[in-house]
Amino acid sequence: MSDRKVHEVDTDVAIIGGGTAGLNSAMAAAEAGCRVLIVDKANIVHSGAIAGGIDHFVAYLGTGPSWDTREAYLGYVGRVARGAADLDVHDAVYCDELDAALARTEKIGVSLRQPDGKIFRTQAMGQPGPYFINFDGKHLKPKMAMEVKRRKCEILNRVQVTNIYLHDGELAGFTGYDIRTGDFYRIRAKAVVIATGNTNRMFNAQIGNPFNLWYCPANTGDLHRAAFDAGVALANMEYVRMTIVPKGFSAPGFNAFFGMGARLVNSLREPFMKNYHEMADKAPRNFMVWGALQELKEGRGPIYMDCRHLKPKELEHLFFTLGIDKDTLPEFLLAKGYAKEEAMIEMTVSEPMQARPSELCGSGIRIDRHCASNVPGIYAAGDASDQMGCLHMAMAGGFAAGKHAAAYAKKIAHLRPLDTHAMAEEEARVFRPLERRSGITYREFENIVRIICTDHFGPVKTELSLTGALEKLDRLDTARDELKADNMHELMRAHEALNIHQVSKISARAALERRESRFHPYQYRADFPQTDDANYCGLMVIQKQPDGAVTTRLDKLKYAA
Amino acid sequence: MPAVIDPAKCNGCELCDLYCPVDVIHMEGKVAVVRYPDECWHCGACRLECARDAVTFEFSRAMLSV
Repeated sequence: MSDRKVHEVDTDVAIIGGGTAGLNSAMAAAEAGCRVLIVDKANIVHSGAIAGGIDHFVAYLGTGPSWDTREAYLGYVGRVARGAADLDVHDAVYCDELDAALARTEKIGVSLRQPDGKIFRTQAMGQPGPYFINFDGKHLKPKMAMEVKRRKCEILNRVQVTNIYLHDGELAGFTGYDIRTGDFYRIRAKAVVIATGNTNRMFNAQIGNPFNLWYCPANTGDLHRAAFDAGVALANMEYVRMTIVPKGFSAPGFNAFFGMGARLVNSLREPFMKNYHEMADKAPRNFMVWGALQELKEGRGPIYMDCRHLKPKELEHLFFTLGIDKDTLPEFLLAKGYAKEEAMIEMTVSEPMQARPSELCGSGIRIDRHCASNVPGIYAAGDASDQMGCLHMAMAGGFAAGKHAAAYAKKIAHLRPLDTHAMAEEEARVFRPLERRSGITYREFENIVRIICTDHFGPVKTELSLTGALEKLDRLDTARDELKADNMHELMRAHEALNIHQVSKISARAALERRESRFHPYQYRADFPQTDDANYCGLMVIQKQPDGAVTTRLDKLKYAA
Repeated sequence: MPAVIDPAKCNGCELCDLYCPVDVIHMEGKVAVVRYPDECWHCGACRLECARDAVTFEFSRAMLSV
């Protein structure tokens, strides 16, 4: 590979991951007058969780009712995301930024209103009032991509970031490569915002296809792993997120179904959610999953989404909305033989994933009110952070992260150096799978990781299951040096598989340290089935120390009674 | 089979290849091909961008049958 091109790029603020959070960070940093570089593994026009569209924006609008205020919203977050959401951070990264985020959405050309000009909101997931603005976000991602181009951000599409480098304990830059051409990048930045989403493909999925997922299968914890290796502290990593999806197709639709009043019923045709939560089908997501799992376990499955009581106009809106969030879902339902009228759609519990336990927090890089990690120069936003999740926080908090990263970058006089020896070592490491004539493929390697994770903590876990998982995952380390790739696509997948493997260890270790259950079944310890607020109401922070040792600590969180 | 591209309708504009978020569509000569169909996310980005209506979705037998 002597003809490989190597590029050295300098910038003020680099954004790794050009999804919703990353593009909002880029807008903010550009507005602050910084040089901005966005690096994305795909193409920012259609990348990340909303590549194919989005249909809901959570917001309080101050229209009069007591639930429609900042205070009521924060109270809701404290109730529903207790022990995972840091209200102080939430207040700063979401509440302070919400009005601007709503205005920005409209300004870039995506209306939050229905065709009749009115705001239409629905209620689900434990909300005290209808916080879900239903809107047509089919073109939100392409419009945001146009906006960052208009703001003169530089863009590197199809570049997978491989590692982060510090100099004297502060950010120096990172490396990456073009997943098609193999060009290698050494990028220096004064500040970086990591916005690469969560980690998927870690657990078995429906019909045995690891790409048949609720969340974007390109999000594979690449930067959770790289940041962790650079000493960045992570939190909320123990949670294993799941949802309710149509049988056969892990597509989103939860908010749309329950927001419009659909009900889950078991095979006795009985609505069952009232047995698990006082809000029944309007309960927070983890309770819905818990209820569904119990019904399935106790032999009352399959479960169905009962839409038969909905009025024709409501059904029309529901099926339209389902197609906004997942372009191909309405035709899948039709292909399965479901008509809008009398719809009883068979559902199931989705694949687990490494992600936030609630829509109201994140799972990843531990951030403060300024979206800063513990490493100077490294910021995080969206699902890749421990406090942001869902569109509303990616839009609002993403912008906040960009502002703070820009303010930091402006205080830095000089870019820090990247060590030449480390750069050469990383380049050799990245491309080594291409040089192996024989070895293990990414499919085989990743499948082993999935089986271990599913069997040991997908989602139920105990001390023995977790220590067993860690032993198996550690033993798999020898195979890391045997991964082979026959082309650039396989090389990218090989690195994704390696990152999924490392994130699974982080998740298992954090789950081991939390000797309680919280957000059942997302952290369900069968040996500690109760929630223990006295000892565990807070964030399990996991970090790799300079000597390589992995340590954990609990950052306690306080909530109003 | 997930995204399916009709080679007779494809005009080789490359947009589906460019915008597929999971790198499953690649140009082969002047036609876009779904090279890794089992890795398709069914997000529909390719179809949204295709000006020639060359992209359709076919769900696997397993997805439709279970």
